[in-house]
Amino acid sequence: MTAWSYYIATLTVYFGVNVLSALSLNLQFGFAGVVNFGYILFQAVGAYIAAVVVLGPSSAFQQYVFGARLPFGVALLLATLAGAVLSLLIGLFSLRNIRRDYQAAILLIISLMATQVVQGYVPLFNGSNGVTGVPRPLSSVPLSLQGYQWAYAGWVLLVAALAYALVTWLSRSPWGRALRALRDQEDAAAAIGLNVTALRLQVFVIGGALAGLSGGLLVEYIGAWSPDAWGYAETFVIFTALFVGGIGNYRGAVLGVLLVPIIFLELPRFLPQVGYPGLMDSMEWIAIGAIWMLCLYIRPQGIVPERRNRAARTAAADARPARESVEVA
Amino acid sequence: MSLLAAHDVVVAYGGVRAVNGVSLELAAGESLGLIGPNGAGKSSFLAALGGQVRLTAGSIALDGEEVGGMPPYKRARRGITRTFQMTSEFAKMTAFENLVTAGHGAEGASLRNVVVRRRRTRAAERAVAARAWSVLDRFEMAHVADLYGAELSGGQRRLVEIMRCLMREPKVLLLDEPMVGVAPHLVDKLLADLRSIRDDGIALVIVEHALEVVQELCERVVVMALGRPIAAGTFDEVVSEPEVQAAYVG
Repeated sequence: MTAWSYYIATLTVYFGVNVLSALSLNLQFGFAGVVNFGYILFQAVGAYIAAVVVLGPSSAFQQYVFGARLPFGVALLLATLAGAVLSLLIGLFSLRNIRRDYQAAILLIISLMATQVVQGYVPLFNGSNGVTGVPRPLSSVPLSLQGYQWAYAGWVLLVAALAYALVTWLSRSPWGRALRALRDQEDAAAAIGLNVTALRLQVFVIGGALAGLSGGLLVEYIGAWSPDAWGYAETFVIFTALFVGGIGNYRGAVLGVLLVPIIFLELPRFLPQVGYPGLMDSMEWIAIGAIWMLCLYIRPQGIVPERRNRAARTAAADARPARESVEVA
Repeated sequence: MSLLAAHDVVVAYGGVRAVNGVSLELAAGESLGLIGPNGAGKSSFLAALGGQVRLTAGSIALDGEEVGGMPPYKRARRGITRTFQMTSEFAKMTAFENLVTAGHGAEGASLRNVVVRRRRTRAAERAVAARAWSVLDRFEMAHVADLYGAELSGGQRRLVEIMRCLMREPKVLLLDEPMVGVAPHLVDKLLADLRSIRDDGIALVIVEHALEVVQELCERVVVMALGRPIAAGTFDEVVSEPEVQAAYVG
C-alpha cells in the first residue's frame, strides 16, 4: 500500500505542477497568442534557483551559483521571481514586433541553447549531473514520510488552485479581453489603441513567474534537477494537453493535464513491456505528437472550447437595463 | 489649422519607394478619397498615416502635434484609427466584445488599472458597455452582439470594424477598401452609415476601388500612381484629367 500511496501522492504533485504549467501556457498562448516554445526553460530556472538557495554553499560534491540556506517559502518566491525576470529579459528582445512564428522559433532556440549552456558550464548549476540533495521543506514538522508526501501534494494543489483563480480573474478582466484582441488580430488591436508589445510582455512575465513557481514546487519535492529533466519535448507535452483539453479555457487546460501527462503518459507503466528496453518510452513521444496533430485535425477547439461571453450576462451590460433579455442568436 | 496634415510622406520598402512624396491636409468632418491603379501606393500611404509602416521621410501632424514617429496605438489614442483591407474583426470575440475592447481610454484596460484601480475600472467598464450598446443600436447591429466575429457576414464584419473604431471616438478614420466583401444590397446602408459618421465631424480617408463609392462619399479625391499624387480635386474634376485616364487605362 505504501508504494501505491507514494505513487499516487507523487502523481498528484506532478498533476499540480503540470496544471501550473498549463495555466501559464494557456494564459500566454490561449489568451494572448504568444507561442512560448521555450516554456520549459522558465520552469527550469525556477527549479534551479529554488534548489541552490536551500542547498547551502557550493561544495566539492556539486558546484552552483547563489548557494544559500534560505527557508523554502523564500526559495519559492525567488523561483517565481527568477521565472519572471528571465521572461522579462528574454521577452524584451524576442517579443518585439516580429512575426509570431518567428517569436516561437526564437523561444525554442533559446531554450535549446540554455540546455547546452547549463550542461557545458558546470559552475552554473553543476552541468549535466545537475543539482541533487535538495532538502525536504519543513523537515522539522513531525510527519511520517507518507504523511509528508500527501501534505506536500495538498500544498501543491492549493497553490495550483490559487493560480487558477488568479489567471481566471485576470483573463476575464478588461486586460484579459485586450489579450484576446491581440491574439485574434494584432494589427487591429494596435490600431484601436492597445499597446500590443506591452501586453505581450506582461503576459509573458506573468506566465514566466508561474513557470518558475512550478519548477520550484517540483524540485522541492523530487529533490534533484538536471538538464535531462527539462528537455524541450516537455514543453510540447503541455501544449498537447492544452490542445486536447481546450485552448483559451482553464477548465480545459486542467482536463488536458489529467488526460495527457498524467493518464496517457502513465498508462504504459501498467502495460506489458514490448520490444527492447526504452522502446515504449520513445513511442510515447511519437504518440504525443500524433495526439496533437489528430486533435488539430478532428477538434481544434479541444474538448472544452473557449467560453463565449454573452453580453447580457456580464455586469457591464447591466448598465443598460433595457437590454437585460438580449436574445442570443 | 487643418486637423491632419501630411507633408512629403515617403515610404520605402528596400529600394522601392511605394509612397514617394505625398502631402495632404484634411479638416474635421471632411472625407477624402484616395484612388489609383493597383500598386499606386494608396494602402501604403494609409498605413503611413495609421503607423503600420515606418515613415522613410516626411511628417504627419494631428491637431498640430507630430505623430509621424509614433506607434499605431499612440496614434489611435490621439484620434487616428483605421480599418483594414482584409476585415480585421477579432474572430473569437463577440461583436459586443469587439466594441468594448476599443472603448477604454488611453490607460483603461491596463494591467495596473485592473489590479490596483479596481473601482475605477469597473465604472469605466459600465460606461464603455453603455456606449457599445448605443453604437450597436445606432448601426442596427444589436441583434448580433453575441455572435463571434467569425460568425458575421462580410458586411457585418465591416460594420463591426467601423463601430470598433468609433468606440475610440476618433478624429480621423482611415478606411482601406471598406466595401470589399460587402453584399451589393448592403453597400447603400454602409454608405449612409459612413456619411453619418462624417457628419459627426470625423474626418475620413478612404481607399476604394469602387469609384461610385468615392463619388458618393468624398468631397475631395486624390489620385495616386507609382507612389505619387497625379491629380487632386472633386471626383468629376480628377476623372476627366488625361493623366488619370492614362494611369487607369495604361
